[in-house]
Amino acid sequence: MNILESFKVALSSIWNHKVRSVLTMLGIIIGVAAVIIIVAIGQGTKKQMTDELFATDKNAIQIYYEYIPPEGEEGMFWEEPELTSEDIKTLSEVPGVKAVLATNQGWGMMVHDDEQGEMQITGVGAEFFPARDIQVVEGRALYAADNDGLNRVVLIDTIAREKFFKETENPIGEIIDLNDNPYKVVGVYESPLPEQFRNTETGEMLMPRSVISLMFGNREIEQLSVIASDPENISETGRLAADTLTAEKGLEDGKYSTNDFEDYERELNTMISLLTLLIGSIAGISLLVGGIGVMNIMLVSVTERTREIGLRKAIGATRKKILLQFLIESITLTSLGGLIGIGLAAVGSILVSKFSPITATVSPIIVLIGVSFSALIGIIFGMLPANKASKLSPIEALRYE
Amino acid sequence: MMKLSDITKVYGKGSLEVSVLHGIDLTIEDGEFVAIMGPSGSGKSTLMNIIGFLDYPSTGTYELNGEQIASAKESTLAKLRNEHVGFVFQQFFMFPRDNAIKNVASPLVYAGVSKRERTARAKDLLVKVGLGDRMKHLPNELSGGQKQRVAIARALVNNPTILLADEPTGALDSNTSEQIMKLFKQLNEEGKTVIIVTHEEEIAAYAKRIITIKDGRITDDRRVTS
Repeated sequence: MNILESFKVALSSIWNHKVRSVLTMLGIIIGVAAVIIIVAIGQGTKKQMTDELFATDKNAIQIYYEYIPPEGEEGMFWEEPELTSEDIKTLSEVPGVKAVLATNQGWGMMVHDDEQGEMQITGVGAEFFPARDIQVVEGRALYAADNDGLNRVVLIDTIAREKFFKETENPIGEIIDLNDNPYKVVGVYESPLPEQFRNTETGEMLMPRSVISLMFGNREIEQLSVIASDPENISETGRLAADTLTAEKGLEDGKYSTNDFEDYERELNTMISLLTLLIGSIAGISLLVGGIGVMNIMLVSVTERTREIGLRKAIGATRKKILLQFLIESITLTSLGGLIGIGLAAVGSILVSKFSPITATVSPIIVLIGVSFSALIGIIFGMLPANKASKLSPIEALRYE
Repeated sequence: MMKLSDITKVYGKGSLEVSVLHGIDLTIEDGEFVAIMGPSGSGKSTLMNIIGFLDYPSTGTYELNGEQIASAKESTLAKLRNEHVGFVFQQFFMFPRDNAIKNVASPLVYAGVSKRERTARAKDLLVKVGLGDRMKHLPNELSGGQKQRVAIARALVNNPTILLADEPTGALDSNTSEQIMKLFKQLNEEGKTVIIVTHEEEIAAYAKRIITIKDGRITDDRRVTS
């Protein structure tokens, strides 16, 4: 009897005892479904938390100044070193750095015609537009010359355009009032920020950072971040850039550092892995119980089919063939249970994704593991009954009442 | 041809030892029709089991077609059963969920014969035993006599050296018994070696040679001339 035929025979035998088979498989079904759905939710949670962590920008990493007070001093008052375009140039030459983003911030009351509102202003350079992939929908982006020449030009985002300008009106070239000073609108852009971080009330605007520094009295570079050419190496690139800057500035009582996302991620991973392991082991116990159930029913089946076994032996079945037949039957039983469990888990994942913010995804690998694990349970717990069947003496088995 | 020399069978060990067969010498030529008779406990079933490779002797030698059966290994015995013996039992013993064709073809599964050939051979034999119109029936849709015909077809499907029947009519009425015995007779006339184990004189009467066993010894071995 070849393997394929054995599977067919096993399936028909399972089909002939539908209720019993389903009840036997229940332990495996629940176990496999639980394992897969928990892993799916775990991975979904991890993905969601990682996404949140990197929400602002996935491949930009911020570089900030950290003051190290000299021995014995409190270090209450300290001044951050001034950053210049020269420093930006140095940073952009660090290997792995794709772009350097230098920005500053300002707030102002914008007035145009009858409308007025508080605006958040970000001071940027020309490099900001390609680096953050800013979509300019009307007019133009900022040029390097705008910064160098202290041009009092602004770009407003689409929200501000809606608030301050009529749809038919062309905002390009219009003069607006910001803290009682006139600025010229040169463009309208689509804000790259996710919805929840945006000012949906009045909108935002971009302006040359040199102008912010001049008009608001801020330092020209308040925030500094680098974009890595390879997002995978973002932490390393950030660290290298920070160290380069520290060396360049010849700092003694301070240094430049980056937020190490890897640490957060590692912590997060440990937590989720621990949780998955814990619940996974509970599911493992359920699989063990399921396996014992399978063994029990297979033993009953062997006893019930003693005469069949005797007959098979009389017509020439060897011990090995009988062993294989029962083993295949128990593997088929548990694998089928595993498949049903995976189906259940898939449905569960869809429901979880629908009714909670977590996107639970059943990965093909976990499906593969689920099926092979249930087949393995079939082998382990089918071995004893199959062995018992194979060792029956044909004479006694045929005489069995 | 099969030749048993000085066969003994002992069950148990030490003080619990029970000797069932005491030095059986028996030669059965190809094409014979033999009935083995004896009261219950005489050892005739044990002898049948040894002849049919369901069991192995404690001592003595068994020669089949001139070859000594040396090994008592389970897998060797299973192979010998599959190739050389066709069993017919009193209780028929069918696979209840398989139809007549599949039941007849079942020994061929273990002989590694392809499915197409299995079905073809099973169909041929079902026609031969007169069940050409019952091929797709399940065992519980067949009468006792029909089941025994299926069993005989199954015993023949591997073209065995010996057809070995253990009380084949024990569960049948006299009319059906007669039909079954006539089938055995016909098969023997076609050249098949038939060995029937029975305690009924009327059944033994169909055979050409009657061997009587008592207390583990052959007490009588006579040829019947009809």
